[in-house]
Amino acid sequence: MFIKAASTISYQRTFRNPGFSATLKPLTTQSELLAPDYSGFIAAMDRRRMTDIQKMSITCAMDCLDQSGIKQPDAIIVGTSMGCSVNIKTFLDKILEAGEGPLSPTSFIVSTHNTVAGQIALLLKNHGYNMTYTQNTLSFEQALIDAMISCDDSMKNVLVGGADEEENAIYNMHGRLGDKRAQLTSGASFFLVSNQKEPGAVRIVDVGSFGWVEDNGHTVNQFLQANNTTIDEVDLTLFAIDGKQNELPNLLPGKLIDYQQFAGTYYTSSAFAMHYAFDILLTQLHSNHGDHVKTILVYNNLLPENLGLILLTSKTD
Amino acid sequence: MKIFVTGIGAITAIGGNVVENLNSLRSLRTGLHKSSEYNLITGEVSLTNDQLSECFHLHDQNYSRTTLLSLPAAREAWGNNVRDSRIRTGLISSTSVGGMDRTEKYYFHDRRTNSPSHYHLMVHDNGTTTELLAEELGITGYISTISTACSSGANSIMQAARLVEAGRLDRVIAGGSEPLALFDTKGFASLNIYDPGFCKPFDENRKGLNLGEGAAFLVLENEKSLSATGNQPICVLSGWNNASDAFHQTASSPDGRGAYLAMIHALEKAGLSATEIDYVNAHGTGTVNNDLSESMALQKVFGKVPPFSSTKGFTGHTLAAAGAIEAVYCVLSISNQSILPNINFETSMHETGLQPEKEFRPASIQHVLSNSFGFGGNCTSLVFSKS
Repeated sequence: MFIKAASTISYQRTFRNPGFSATLKPLTTQSELLAPDYSGFIAAMDRRRMTDIQKMSITCAMDCLDQSGIKQPDAIIVGTSMGCSVNIKTFLDKILEAGEGPLSPTSFIVSTHNTVAGQIALLLKNHGYNMTYTQNTLSFEQALIDAMISCDDSMKNVLVGGADEEENAIYNMHGRLGDKRAQLTSGASFFLVSNQKEPGAVRIVDVGSFGWVEDNGHTVNQFLQANNTTIDEVDLTLFAIDGKQNELPNLLPGKLIDYQQFAGTYYTSSAFAMHYAFDILLTQLHSNHGDHVKTILVYNNLLPENLGLILLTSKTD
Repeated sequence: MKIFVTGIGAITAIGGNVVENLNSLRSLRTGLHKSSEYNLITGEVSLTNDQLSECFHLHDQNYSRTTLLSLPAAREAWGNNVRDSRIRTGLISSTSVGGMDRTEKYYFHDRRTNSPSHYHLMVHDNGTTTELLAEELGITGYISTISTACSSGANSIMQAARLVEAGRLDRVIAGGSEPLALFDTKGFASLNIYDPGFCKPFDENRKGLNLGEGAAFLVLENEKSLSATGNQPICVLSGWNNASDAFHQTASSPDGRGAYLAMIHALEKAGLSATEIDYVNAHGTGTVNNDLSESMALQKVFGKVPPFSSTKGFTGHTLAAAGAIEAVYCVLSISNQSILPNINFETSMHETGLQPEKEFRPASIQHVLSNSFGFGGNCTSLVFSKS
């Protein structure tokens, strides 16, 4: 499966900024979400009621369609752990305020996790396949596996993304990500993927989602082996590890970069990492010098029991 | 490639296991009653959290009701299956609120104490509710949670079939679980779509839905898995499709475009013509909007609509679990060669004149179709066939 377009809104200058991978700087406590001007992507009337996850996701989705010239994708697939957590919190507040009195449904109707995927379809009047995965740190990997199955199942163009927004009352204090190595952030990354090969395209070789993972090293080896890739062929690993792990895993192939220092911590940050990897591979393809990074592994072990693996390459098969 | 159904399990307001559910359907016995907690007519599972915890010897008290309800249903479906290194096994669950019952404890109580603990928030996210179920069943590897509102349960079963067909898994336990939570009871109240009495799916005088809770799971396997497990197929999952209505965030389109697309493409996937469907288990929530939209789509797909019913008058609308519970009912329709009843129906709606089945009755059943629709215009149809 090939990446035709990618779009990310994050705490870095990622949006409509090809080559951003060379300019990333570790986040500081002053860092904030670098949201673009949404007005070019979402009508003011629609935008007014949207929270960050909706605005980021819809904008990245529309940007991918613009870049690739695709008007209607055959599938829209989203991974999000916490979904519309701001709307969930707003509705909980309304319940408290209202007591036994009447309640407005405004935040309730946009509180389901599939709000993002549904709204993209609604805006596009898209009647295709529409799916949402909510497996905490593996939500994006599972959306991507679905995209691979969909492409193999005769869908030509698939829009796939990962997004989560920070929400203090529920998300920020949510115990499972409470003591991570980097600050809690938000982000959205969307991709237009397809089985149609184009010159100079970056290929997603395979994606793995492993819950209650028992042996990370063994799992990585098996994954690479199943994809006819040796450890030596992986030039770079972009990794995120659990906050309680102090040492870098010594099993990882190639040069190592911690992507959490750039993305911060959110459940679907492996989608940021995939765009980061894509940007590195594209930059290298168009450059005559440099490290000649051709194959990258995204190693997502943000929660110790879950392991996500994404293998990307610019090599032609 | 055939996708075999080899195990089923369910817990709903009409029974703590599959046999109890079947007996209630057979004797037209509803599980809906006036809930003192919510001051609404709901379909509650009679077991409390403490009772469910005790059944499974759980020591930690921080399991969300989503996980607790999923345990008996998944255990029943899983039966004597064991881990087997020769086959790749996955677990796919679905829920719309995840650990919301625990989050509500934090949000409405803990937070207001002097030293609020985040303990109850540890299980807020959907994925965690499924991981705890996987831990109980001893499943590792592909553990996934789908959340597409009221079509979630059907999508989880569809996803199981797609992963097996794609060669990524050999055996999957798939389904969904949904507890009654204040968040949803208040949410649907804000939409003004409750029937103050018992819901009357497909009736001219229907007023709305009743909420319910429950969980259901199915075990799905390929040929390779069957030869390793020795499990006997009950029936096959022969068709599936998901389509988007793309009309409105919560309402269905007047002509049921998404529902129509999901049904015709699920039939196409099963290689069946519409006339070959012997029974349709409709989404049929009892709301004015859904039942009309679904009826229009049914007429467009079938012309002459085959015997159909909504079983929500028994269980209430169990949201993310509904598609999974009704998938189990479709399997029962095939294994018992029977059509399932739609209770509380009196008068056909004037727009369509359609009349759902009112009795549990024997019939020759080769193929059944199940519909599930959700917020965001998410429409899914599944087709089950006699193996």
